[in-house]
Amino acid sequence: MKKNKAPFLLLSFLLGCLSLMAQNRTITGRLTATEDNTPLSGATVTVKGTSNSVPTASDGTFSISVAPGPVTLVISSVGYTSKEVPVAAGQNSITITLDKSTGQMGEVVVIGYGTVKKSSLTASVSKLQNDKLDQIPVGRIEQAMAGRLAGVDVIQSRATPGSAPIIRIRGTGSIDGGNEPLVVIDGFAGAGLGSISMNDVESIEVLKDASSAAIYGSRAAGGVIIVTTKKGKAGKPKLNFNSFAGVSKPILHNDWITGDEYYQYAIKYQNREFKWDNPANDVTIPIWGDPRRPVSRQVNPILNNGVNTIWQDAVTQTAPFQNYNLAVSGGSENTRYYVSGTYKDEKGTIRNTRYTQYTLRANLEVKVNNVINFGATLNSIYAKRRLSPQRTVDYAKYPVFVAIQNPDGSYPKAKDYWSAGPVTSQANPMAILEGTFLTNEGMNNLADVFVNVQILKGLNFRSSLSTNINYSTSERFAASIASNTGISNGSAGDSRFIGVLNENTLSYNTTLNGVHDISSVVGASFQTNNSRNAAIGVVAGSFRNDIIHTLNNALVDPTSTNTFKTKSNLESYFGRINYGYKDKYLLSASMRADGSSRFGPGNKFGYFPSASVAWRISQEDFLRGHSVISNLKLRASYGVTGNLNIGDFSYLGGIGGSTYTVNNSLVQGQTQTSFGNDNLRWERTRSYDYGIDLGLFRNRLNITFDYYDKRTNDLLYSELIPGITGFTSSLVNVGDISNKGIEIELSSRNIVRGDFRWTSSFNMAMNRNKVLNLGKDFEKIYTDVQGMSWILRVGQPMFSYFAYRSIGVFQNEDQLSSTPRLAGTKVGNPIFEDVNKDGKITPADKVILGTFAPKVFMGLVNDFQYKNFDLSIALQSSFGGKMYNYENQYFQGSLLGAIRRSLVQDQWYSEQEPGNGKVPGSALSTLAFQAGSDLYIEDASFLNVRNINLGYTFSSSLMQRMRISNLRIFTSVSNALLITSKGFHGYNPQGYTGSEYMPGFNDGSEPLSRVITFGVNVGF
Amino acid sequence: MKKNNFYIGSFLLLALSMGSCKKEFLHPEPDSILTTANFFKTANDLDQATIATYSRYQARKPFDYLIMELPSDNLYLSANAAIAAAFDIDALTVNSENNTVLNFWNNTYNCIFRANSVLVNIDKPTNYKAGQKEQLMGEAKFLRALFYFDLVRIFGGVPKVTKPLTVEESRATPRASQEEIYQFIVSDLQDAITNLPATMPRGRASKSAAVAMLAKVFVYRKDWNNAKTYLDQMEQFSHSLVPNFSSLFKVATEDNAEAIFSLKYTDGTNGHTLSTAFIPNGGAAGIVNRGDEVALPSYSLWKKYEAGDTRKAATVSEDYTPPSGGASIKYPYVSKFAVQHTFGSSGLDIPVIRFADVVLLRAEVYFNLNQPDKALTELNKIRERAFGDATHNYTLADIATEELFYDKLLLERQLEFAYENERWFDLVRTGRFVTVLATEERGFNFSSQTPNVAILNPQPFEKVFPIPYTQIAQANPGVLEQNEGYTR
Repeated sequence: MKKNKAPFLLLSFLLGCLSLMAQNRTITGRLTATEDNTPLSGATVTVKGTSNSVPTASDGTFSISVAPGPVTLVISSVGYTSKEVPVAAGQNSITITLDKSTGQMGEVVVIGYGTVKKSSLTASVSKLQNDKLDQIPVGRIEQAMAGRLAGVDVIQSRATPGSAPIIRIRGTGSIDGGNEPLVVIDGFAGAGLGSISMNDVESIEVLKDASSAAIYGSRAAGGVIIVTTKKGKAGKPKLNFNSFAGVSKPILHNDWITGDEYYQYAIKYQNREFKWDNPANDVTIPIWGDPRRPVSRQVNPILNNGVNTIWQDAVTQTAPFQNYNLAVSGGSENTRYYVSGTYKDEKGTIRNTRYTQYTLRANLEVKVNNVINFGATLNSIYAKRRLSPQRTVDYAKYPVFVAIQNPDGSYPKAKDYWSAGPVTSQANPMAILEGTFLTNEGMNNLADVFVNVQILKGLNFRSSLSTNINYSTSERFAASIASNTGISNGSAGDSRFIGVLNENTLSYNTTLNGVHDISSVVGASFQTNNSRNAAIGVVAGSFRNDIIHTLNNALVDPTSTNTFKTKSNLESYFGRINYGYKDKYLLSASMRADGSSRFGPGNKFGYFPSASVAWRISQEDFLRGHSVISNLKLRASYGVTGNLNIGDFSYLGGIGGSTYTVNNSLVQGQTQTSFGNDNLRWERTRSYDYGIDLGLFRNRLNITFDYYDKRTNDLLYSELIPGITGFTSSLVNVGDISNKGIEIELSSRNIVRGDFRWTSSFNMAMNRNKVLNLGKDFEKIYTDVQGMSWILRVGQPMFSYFAYRSIGVFQNEDQLSSTPRLAGTKVGNPIFEDVNKDGKITPADKVILGTFAPKVFMGLVNDFQYKNFDLSIALQSSFGGKMYNYENQYFQGSLLGAIRRSLVQDQWYSEQEPGNGKVPGSALSTLAFQAGSDLYIEDASFLNVRNINLGYTFSSSLMQRMRISNLRIFTSVSNALLITSKGFHGYNPQGYTGSEYMPGFNDGSEPLSRVITFGVNVGF
Repeated sequence: MKKNNFYIGSFLLLALSMGSCKKEFLHPEPDSILTTANFFKTANDLDQATIATYSRYQARKPFDYLIMELPSDNLYLSANAAIAAAFDIDALTVNSENNTVLNFWNNTYNCIFRANSVLVNIDKPTNYKAGQKEQLMGEAKFLRALFYFDLVRIFGGVPKVTKPLTVEESRATPRASQEEIYQFIVSDLQDAITNLPATMPRGRASKSAAVAMLAKVFVYRKDWNNAKTYLDQMEQFSHSLVPNFSSLFKVATEDNAEAIFSLKYTDGTNGHTLSTAFIPNGGAAGIVNRGDEVALPSYSLWKKYEAGDTRKAATVSEDYTPPSGGASIKYPYVSKFAVQHTFGSSGLDIPVIRFADVVLLRAEVYFNLNQPDKALTELNKIRERAFGDATHNYTLADIATEELFYDKLLLERQLEFAYENERWFDLVRTGRFVTVLATEERGFNFSSQTPNVAILNPQPFEKVFPIPYTQIAQANPGVLEQNEGYTR
C-alpha cells in the first residue's frame, strides 16, 4: 500500500478531473447546530478524498453531486467541530448536526506558512477569534487584544485617538534592538496593525514561543502576531452592516484647589521658599506689597480673583465618535470574494484632537481549475490625525487665576496678571490648543497576489508578491499666540515607505497508512524596504501672518530642510516539518536562514532552528473515554529567534553633516559621526517552553499552562565606550537577558442550561526579567535631567528605577546637621537612606526601586447569554508595576500653578506644619531632591472593567420576514470602572511618556476615557 | 500529467531565478550617507571635515559656562534651573558621577576626534589649491590645541589622543602628565602659527589667533619670556581695542579689530542658546519673549563695577523689563549676550580670544618681567576703554607688590571677561580660589540692601575636576587614575 501511494493519488486526481463525466448521484441535506437546531449557512460540505465541495445555503441546506457508491462527507464550519459523515450508496438525503467547537478541539490555528489543528499544536500559540470584537469600540486592533491573551501585555501608554499601544509578549529581551512583535497580516510580515480595521479581522493568533515563531526567524524575538482577515465563503452573497457611535468622557482628577484655599496654599508655599532663601527671613512680613520681601516671594492678591479656571476641565471634552462598516462577501464554488469599507471618526478628549480613517479591503480568490488557485487582496487605508501640541500636564498645570479667554477674544497669560511674579511664562493653554495645527495623515496600501498550484494531491506550490506602500505627511503650524515665545513656527514632513515581498513555498501534506500525519513546507522569501523622508523647517517667527499655515508664507530654514533615503533587504530560506503519529505523538521542527543587509559583511546570515514535541495522553487507550479528563496534552519546545531592529547601515562608520557660519553665511561641513562595527551580527533569543493542555468534564473546563525560559544573547547593545574615542557608545553584540515566566489560560462553560449560558475565560501571566551579562559594562545608567535613573545592572530586571530611598523629612537645622545628606539639602527636604552607612549620601547609596513591568497581569472575560440577550464583561488587571509620576511635581505649588489637594495636603511647610512626615517640601529649586528619589514612584497596579457589552439578537423568524439574516443591537461601556492603587496620582496606570530606555516615566500622559457606545450589526 | 510536469518545471525555474539573487541584495550602497570608505578623499572633503570641527566646538561652547563660570563667584544657578548636576558645580561639591563634567569630557574628545580626522587624512587628497593643505592642517592643530588647553585646565593631565582609536586602544590609554599635554599644546600651536595664513574668513582661525593662544598658554605656564615673544608677535597683526566695550557684544559690530577669534553663529538657523540661557523666565523686553533663566549674576561680581564703568551695563542688567513692557523691576540678569534673538537660537558671536586678553596678558607678563611701568600702561588701556577717560587709571603705587598687582589684574580680568569663562581659571592658576570662593554673594535683597551669602567650602584639590567615573570604569582596570581628593 505504501509503495502504491503516489500512483494512487495520481489516479484519484485524474479521476477527480474526469469526475464530471462519471455517472453521478446527488445528495441533498440540511445542516443545523446541535445546540439549538438553527440552520448553519456558509458551512462547507466536501466529499472526502476529493476537492468536490459545496457551501450550505442560508437555511442550512445543500446539494452535492457525488460518485456512485458509498462516500464520506466532511462538514466544516467556523466555530464548529468538523465532522465526517458516511453516506451509504443508496442514501440520497441526510440531516447533519454540528457541535460548537467548545473545547476548541476542532479549531484551526494559523501558524506561519500554514495552519494546524489546535489539537495538533506543539507550540504555545494563543488565539483570539473576532467574535463580536468588532462590536466593541476600539480605536485599534491592539485594544481589542488587551487582557484577552495570556502573556500578551497591551500597554495603552498614550490615550490619544489613533495612537498605537505598546505590545510586549513574554517580557522584554532587547536593549537597543526593540521589543516589538512582528506583525503578519495574511502572510505579509512586517505590516503595521494600524493599517487594518478590526471589522475585517477574522482571527488573531499570537505565536509566543520560539518553536512557533522561529519560522519567522530573524524578526520574531518579540513574538509574532498573525492577523487573518475575513474571506468570502461560497454561497449567496451576504451583506453585513456594522455601526456604532458614542461618546468618550475623560476620567479626570477631582481634587483641584481653587479660590481662597488656593491663595492660602500659595502663601504657605511662598513663605517656605522665603525661609529657604535665608533661614533668618521673617515670614510675618506682609505677603504682598512690602519691599522687605522680594517680588519672587510675594503672593499677588490676584491669585484670589475668583476666576478659578480648572485647566484640566477647560482643555478636555466629552468627545463623540462614530464607526461604520459595510461588508459584502460571498462566492461560488470557484470564486470567493470579500469587500468591505469602513469609515471611522473619533474626536479626542483633548480639545481639537481628532482621528479620521477610511478603509477599503477587498479580497478575491479564484479557483481557475483543479490545479491552480489565484488570489488577490487589496487593503487601502487613509487616516488623518490632529494631535495635541503639548502633553496634558502642560495644560493642566496652568494657574487657576488665569481666565480661559478674555471678553475681547484674546487669550490671557499668567504673566499678564502678574508680570514680575514667579508664575509660568507659558502661553495660555487654550491659545496653544486653538492656535496650533499639528496633523499627520497617511495613506497605506497593502496588496497581495498569489498563485497556488496543486502539483500533486497534497503537494502545493505557492508564490506570492506583496507590497506595502505607505505615504504620510505631517504638518505643523503654531500661531504666535500659541507659542510661549510669542513667535509663530511651523514645519512639514513627507515620508514614503515601499516594502516589496516575494514568498515562494512548496508544501506537502499527507497521511500515510492512516496513522502517520505529515505536513511540511519549504520556502524562500525576499523582501526589500525602501524609504525616503523629506523635512522642511522654517525660520522661527518668519510667518508673515497667522492666517496662512502653509510654508509658502514663511522663510524656509536651510539647516532643517532635507531629504533622506534608506533601504534594507532580507533574503530568507526556511523549512518545517510536522509529524503526528495517530494524532498522539506530535513532532515539529523548523529551520530558517535569514540574510539581512543590516549586518556586517561577514555576518549577513543568521540561522534559526526550532523543534517541539507534544504527547496527547488523552488519545492513549488508558485515558480514552475517561470521565473527568477529556483532553490532556504535554508540550515541550525549543527554538531560536532573532532580532534585526537596528537602523539600516548601522555597521558602517557613517559620515554626517554639520553646519557652521563663516563670514556670516552658513557653510556645510561633514565628518565621521558614528562608530562603525563590521562585526555587527544577529541578536538571538533561545527559548524553551513547556506546556500542558488539559480539558476536563468533556472539555467544559479547559486549562492551558505554559512555563517558558527565554534567553537573549549577543544583544544588539549600544555599549558604552571610552569618550576618548570621540564617541560614547558603539553598537555591538554583547550581553544576555533572561525572561522566565508562566502563563495560564482557563476557559470554562460554567452554566449551559436551557436558554441560559455562562462561559468564562481567564488568563494570567507572570514574567521575571533579569540582566545576566552586559559584557564590559557591569551596569549602564540612563538618567533624565531631573535626576531619576533607569539602570541596567547584572542580576536585576532591565530598566529598574535607580535612585535614593527617602526615609523622612528634615524637620530642623539640628537634625539636618547631624544626619547624612546631599550637598545643598535644606530643612524640609527628604532624608535619604545612607545605605552603605558611611555617614555620607553619595551615588553609592542609590538603590533599585522596582520597574514599570508588572509582576502579574490578568484578564477575565465573562460571557452570558439568556434567550436573545448576550452580555460580555471583560476585565484587565495588572499588579506590581511601578510608575514614576514625575508630573506630580507640577501640582505641588511650583510657579504658583495648579495645585492638587492629594499632592499638597500632607506636605512639609515648616517645623510647625510638618505634614505627615513623609512628603517633603517641594519646589523647583529642590526638584532634584524629590525627582532623584522614590518620592514620585507610585504603585501602578490596577483593575479595569475594560468593557461591558450588552446585545440583543432579534429572533430568526422576525428577521426572515424582513429578509434580514441577522440583526443585533448592542450597547457597551469601556473603562467602566478603573481602580488604581491608593497612592497613584496619574490619569492612566499604563500611561507614560518616557522613551524605551525610561519606561514608566510619566510626564503628561493623557486621561483614559469612559466610552459609551450604541451600535447595530445587521446582515442581509 | 504532462500539464503537471510543465507546472513543476516552470515553477522550479521561477523559484530558482528568485533564488539566484544578486550579491548586491545583501550589500546595498546607502543612498544618503557617505561612509568612512568613500570620504576623506578630496580637498573638499578635508575642508568639510575642518568645518565640522568648528561646528562641533561651536555646539559645545554655549554650555561651557556650566563648568567654567558656574564654580566662580560670577554666576549662580537660578531656582528655575533643572540641571541636577549643575547644582554640585555651583556649590563646589562635584563628585566623579557629575553628568555635566562627563558631557564636557565626551564632547571635547569628540571635538578632538574631528580635528584628528583632518590631520590623519590630510595627505590623502591630491587636489589641494596652493596653501590649502597647510591652512587646513593649521586650523586642525589650532583647534586641537584649544581643546587640550580646555581639558588640561579642567582635569589636569588627560589621555593624549592624536589619531582615531579603536575601542581596545582607547581602553588601554592612560592619562598623560599635565606637562606632556602642555608640551603637546605648545607644539600644535607652533605648527599652527607656521601653517596658518595671516588672513582668514571671519569664523576661521588665522595666524594671529594661534599666536595669541600660544602666548596665553605660556602665561598659564608662567613662562614669561616665551609669552612675551609671542605677545610681541601680535604687533604684526592689525588688532586693537575697540573704543566702545558694549559694541563687542552687538551683532552689527561683532566683526571688529578686537575679535582675534570668535565662533560665529547665525540667528535662527545656526544659533546658540547662550543669549536665552541668562534671560529671566518671562523673557525680556526687546530681547526675547521667554528666557531659560538657568543662572543669575552674583552680587560678588556686579557690586565691583564702579560708577562710570561702561562694562557694567554691557555685562549685568540690574533692572528687568518684561516683554509686555511696563515698569521695570530690580531683577539682575546677565546681559552680556542679551541681543534681540530667536528663542534658543541667537546669532551673536561668542569670542574665544579677543585683543583685550592680549593686553591684560601683556600687563601680567611685563609685571613678572619686572617692568611694572609697562604693565601699568597695558592695565590702564583696559581701564580707559572701560571708563572712557583716564580718571580711573591705576598708579604704580596701586601695583606696588605682586599681591597688589594681582588684586588689580584679577579684578580687571573679572570685570572685563565676566561670562567669557576666564574667572574660574584665573582664580585657580593664581591659587586664590580657596580663599576667594569661601563665600559667594549671590542674590541681592534690594529692600534690605543685603546680599544672600552662600558659604562654600572649596578644597585645594578642587583645582581640577574629577575624571568622570564612567570613563575610569570603561578603561581597563587601573589604566585611568582619579584625581587626588576625589573618591571613586
